[in-house]
Amino acid sequence: MVKFLKPNKAVIVLQGRFAGRKAVIVKNFDEGTRDRPYGHCLVAGIYKYPKKVIRKDSAKKTAKKSRVKAFVKLVNYNHIMPTRYTLDVDLKDIVTADSLQSRDKKVTACKETKSRFEERFKTGKNRWFFSKLRF
Amino acid sequence: MVSTKKTKKTHESINNRLALVMKSGKYTLGYKTVLRTLRSSKAKLIIIANNCPPLRKSEIEYYAMLAKVGVHHFNGNNVDLGTACGKYYRVCCLSIIDPGDSDIIKSMPGEQ
Repeated sequence: MVKFLKPNKAVIVLQGRFAGRKAVIVKNFDEGTRDRPYGHCLVAGIYKYPKKVIRKDSAKKTAKKSRVKAFVKLVNYNHIMPTRYTLDVDLKDIVTADSLQSRDKKVTACKETKSRFEERFKTGKNRWFFSKLRF
Repeated sequence: MVSTKKTKKTHESINNRLALVMKSGKYTLGYKTVLRTLRSSKAKLIIIANNCPPLRKSEIEYYAMLAKVGVHHFNGNNVDLGTACGKYYRVCCLSIIDPGDSDIIKSMPGEQ
């Protein structure tokens, strides 16, 4: 009886090109919209996970291994699996519904998400989110 | 380790309560609608049959854990659960949205 599909919830995308990837809900559309008459949400996720960084690595290697590739997508609720984890990264202003209208807007949104994800990864927090789901 | 064997009496009482919900309350039957009610936080109680596939059972239990909704494992398979609901088809999982006159919500979540 508690709403759990809220912004900042970590979810796993189940279908499509990004199946198996972890994402975070940015905005919910519980009632749906005119174009999508079903419950869906705007998620920002990780396309390419950062590689495992070890102590031996040089600074240049660490920088290369910590790179993250992000994606932004509107997904149906049926195609995500919510988890008990949350990721509080402020993406509300970068990732909006109209950032998916055109290609270059999407690219800028993804680039900005990528930088926010990378700086969060470098702090060492939310380790679960940045680890690849093995299946 | 006392194994709590469900006596005939409590099983019948679940069936009675379920029949009352069917008559007077709101419910949905089936996996897809159960997940939908859980997501929209309309579900008050989930009942799962005992021959539900384990992956599906854990998925429903996980959703119910996130939504803080009780799950009751019905002592019978989907055929029996369908019969208990008064339907002529199999029901693997069902979600009670509004119990109506029944006290199934207050009495069931104690025993999971």
